Amino acid sequence: MGEGMRERLRGPEELERWRERLRRERDPSALLFTVNVRSACGLAAGSEEVAKRLEEEVEGRGLAGRIVRTGCNGFCEKEPVVTVYPDETFYVGVRSEDVPELVEGVEKGKVVDRLLYQDPVTGQRIRKASDLPFYRHQQKLLLSLNGRIDPTRIEDYIAEGGYRALAKALFELTPEQVLEEVKRSGLRGRGGGGFPTGRKWETTRKAPGEPKYVIVNCDEGDPGAFMDRSLMEGNPHSVLEGLIIGAYAIGSHQGFIYVREEYPLAVENIGIAIEQARECGLLGEDILGSGFDFEVEVHRGAGAFVSGESSALMTAIEGRVGEPRPKYIHTAVKGIHDKPSCLNNVETWANVPLIILNGAEWFRKIGTEGSPGTKIFSLVGKVNNTGLVEVPMGITLRKIIFEIGGGIKGGKRFKAVQTGGPSGGVIPEQYLDTPVDFDELTKLGSMMGSGGMIVMDEDTCMVDVARFFIHFLLEESCGKCIPCREGLRVLDRILTDLCLGKGKEEDLKTIEEICEAMAEASLCALGTTAVNPVLTTMRYFGEEYEAHLKGRCPAKVCKALTAYFINPDKCQGCLVCFKNCPTGAIQGEREMVHVIEQEKCIKCGICYAVCPFGAVEKLSPPVAPPATYGIKAKKEVRK
Amino acid sequence: MRYRCVECGNEWEDRGWLSTCSRCGQKVTGVSSFFRGPEHPEKLIQVLLSLQREKGWLSPETLKEVSRKLGVPLSRIYQVATFYKAFSLVPRGRHLLRVCMGTACQIRGSPAILERLRQLLGVEPGQVTADGKFTLETVNCLGCCAMGPVMMVDDQYFGRLKLPQLEKILGSYG
Repeated sequence: MGEGMRERLRGPEELERWRERLRRERDPSALLFTVNVRSACGLAAGSEEVAKRLEEEVEGRGLAGRIVRTGCNGFCEKEPVVTVYPDETFYVGVRSEDVPELVEGVEKGKVVDRLLYQDPVTGQRIRKASDLPFYRHQQKLLLSLNGRIDPTRIEDYIAEGGYRALAKALFELTPEQVLEEVKRSGLRGRGGGGFPTGRKWETTRKAPGEPKYVIVNCDEGDPGAFMDRSLMEGNPHSVLEGLIIGAYAIGSHQGFIYVREEYPLAVENIGIAIEQARECGLLGEDILGSGFDFEVEVHRGAGAFVSGESSALMTAIEGRVGEPRPKYIHTAVKGIHDKPSCLNNVETWANVPLIILNGAEWFRKIGTEGSPGTKIFSLVGKVNNTGLVEVPMGITLRKIIFEIGGGIKGGKRFKAVQTGGPSGGVIPEQYLDTPVDFDELTKLGSMMGSGGMIVMDEDTCMVDVARFFIHFLLEESCGKCIPCREGLRVLDRILTDLCLGKGKEEDLKTIEEICEAMAEASLCALGTTAVNPVLTTMRYFGEEYEAHLKGRCPAKVCKALTAYFINPDKCQGCLVCFKNCPTGAIQGEREMVHVIEQEKCIKCGICYAVCPFGAVEKLSPPVAPPATYGIKAKKEVRK
Repeated sequence: MRYRCVECGNEWEDRGWLSTCSRCGQKVTGVSSFFRGPEHPEKLIQVLLSLQREKGWLSPETLKEVSRKLGVPLSRIYQVATFYKAFSLVPRGRHLLRVCMGTACQIRGSPAILERLRQLLGVEPGQVTADGKFTLETVNCLGCCAMGPVMMVDDQYFGRLKLPQLEKILGSYG
C-alpha cells in the first residue's frame, strides 16, 4: 500500500506537520470512491466484491481514482453503498455487475440514475447523501468519519484532525482541567445507565490504590443494537483517543478494550489501530514526548451477555467466570483486581475527543439540558430505512421513526417501538411525540439502554416479544442470585404457556408479583430490568394478554394459536407452495385450488412466504378451514 | 514474541489478537502465540479462545495442557469453559452455522429460518449433522440487525435470508 514507514511523533508540532503533509497529498478534487466494506453488514451485503470490481474497473480504464474501504455509513438498508468524490454522488444497493456502468458514468461525467436513492414518496432520485431524508435530520458528530475514512489506516484519521484533542489535552491542559471539562460538558454514559461520566472519572481518580485502570466496554450484547460495533469497526481511533485522554485525566497507565467475540472485525480493527498508534508514538511510553505513559490491551469476550455488566466484565478480564457482584462499593473504587477501574461504553469514550477539542459549552448546546450531546440509535425492525442514526438528544420518537426511518415497512400500521434492549420496554403509539433522552424514556417504563430501537408493526405479537426477551435473559442469566435465576425461569414458563394457549387466569397476577420481587432483589441490572419488557407490554397491550388467555393471538404470530389456510378465491393453482412444503401437507394440482392438510402442517410458514398471490392466509383462533377440495382455481385477470 | 510481516517487513509485538499486519493488512495465519508469550493465569479466557479458534473445539487433553502451562486448576478451567458460549467441549462439524435470533431478526422471521434449517439438517441447535458437515448454533445477535434475518456460515455472512434460499446455501458447502 506504500505509505512508507510511520515515524514516531515527538511532539504536537510534529503531529501537525504530518497532518498538513497528509492533507496536501490528498487533492480534494481528485477522484475517489468509498465503499463500506469494513463493517459486518457491508460484508453481509457483498460490498467486498463491489470494491474488488471497482479496483479492476478503475485500473482497467486507466483512471486516476482511489478506492477507500470505509466503515459503515449508517444506511444499512441500502448497502452496499458507493460514494463517488469529489461530486459526492451517492449510489445505493450497488452490485458488482453494476460497477462497469458506474465507472463508465464517472469517466464520461454522467450519473447512473437507476443506482441513485429513490424517494419512496415522491419517486424522485436523489444524488447527494446529504439531501436524503434519512441523513437530513441527523447530526453526525461521532459517525461523521465512519463512511469517509479507512479505519485500518491511521493516516486517514490524522488527516481529518485525529489526535488533535489528545495533543491539546496533554500539552495545554492539566489532568484536572480535562476532568473539569468533561464534568462541565454534562456527558452521560451511553451504555444505558446514563450516569454522569465526569463524576465517574473523578471517583476513580480520587480513589486510593494503584494502578488505576480504564476500560472500554464493547460487549454490546443487546440484541438489536450495533452502534458500538459500527464505531469500533469504522473509526476505532476515535475510541482509542478518547480512552487515552480519559486515562490522562484519571491518572491511569493501563487500559483494556473488551470486545465481543461475535464481532471479529471490530477486534481486528481496534487491534490494527492500537499497533499503528503505538508506532506513531501516540500510545505506549512517553506519548508525543509528553512524559505520559499509557498501555492498552484487547480482551475478547467469550459470549456471555451478563459480561457487559461492569463488575462481571471486570471479573472476565481477570480470566474468571463473568459473574456480577453486589456493588455497594463501586467498581470505580474497587474494580479489576480490586483496584480503581473506570469503565465506559464505546460511544461515551468516542465523545471525549470532541468535547476536549470543542469545549464543554459547545457540547452543552447540543441535545437537552439534562442529556446533552447526540445519541446513536440503531433503528431496526419493521421500518423502511433501517440503519444507524445519530441525532441530537431530545428529538421525538416520531421524527426518528417516520422522518428519518421513512415510516413502517409495507405500509403497515405502527404498533410499538422497543427501546433499550432486554432491559428496556415497549412504547406504544400515544407516546410517539415524547422527546428522547435518558429521563423521558425512563418515565415511560422503558430506557435508553445502549440505543437499540426496534420498530414493531401490527404483525408483531406483544406477548411473544415479552416471551422472547425473558427467554433470552433466562439463557443469559449467570444464575448467581435466586430472584433472577428462578424468577426468569417461572416467567419464561408462564409466558410460553400463554403463547401456547395454555395460560390461566391467575397467571397475570403471578407475573406481576414475580416482576416486583425481581426488580427489588436481583443482584445486578440484568435481573432488575428484566421485568421492563414484560411490565410495559402488559401495561400498554393488556388486551393481547387477555386474548391469549382465550386462545387467540391477534397478531397471528404464536404458532399454537394460528393455522394456515389457502384462500380459494386467491389461489391460482400454481403449485409453488406445493413444491416448497417440507412435509407434503399441501395437496394440489395445476389450476386447481390447493389445500393444506392441517394434521400434517407444521406451521413453518414457507407456503405463506413463497405464495406469489398472497393466497395463503393465517387464521387465529385456529378454526377448521372450509373444505375446498376439487375446486378449479379462478384465474386472476392480469392487467 | 515478535512477528514480522512477510509482505512489507513490518514488525510488531504480538498480543494475541492481531491476525493481520498493522501496515499492509496481510493476513498472518497460525497466531496461537499464547504458549510462546508470557503466561499469565488471567489470560485463561484469551488462551481458550485462541485454541478454540485453531482447533475448532476444546478437548480434555487441550484443557489439561492449558491447566499445566498456565498453572490454573482444571476445575476452574472447566468452570470457565462451560460458562462461556464461545467454547465447545465437543467436536464441531466442518462448518459452523450460526443463526441470529436477535430481536430484529426475530420479528423479521428468524424462527422460521431456524425451523427450516432444523428440518434440512436434521439436528437441533448445538448438534452436529450426521455427516459431520455442519454444526448448527443460534446466537443472540450478530450486530447486523438491519440485514435480518441473518446467519453466518464460518466467516461468511448471509443477510436478508429467504426460506427458499437455504437449501442452495447449504449445498454450496463441502
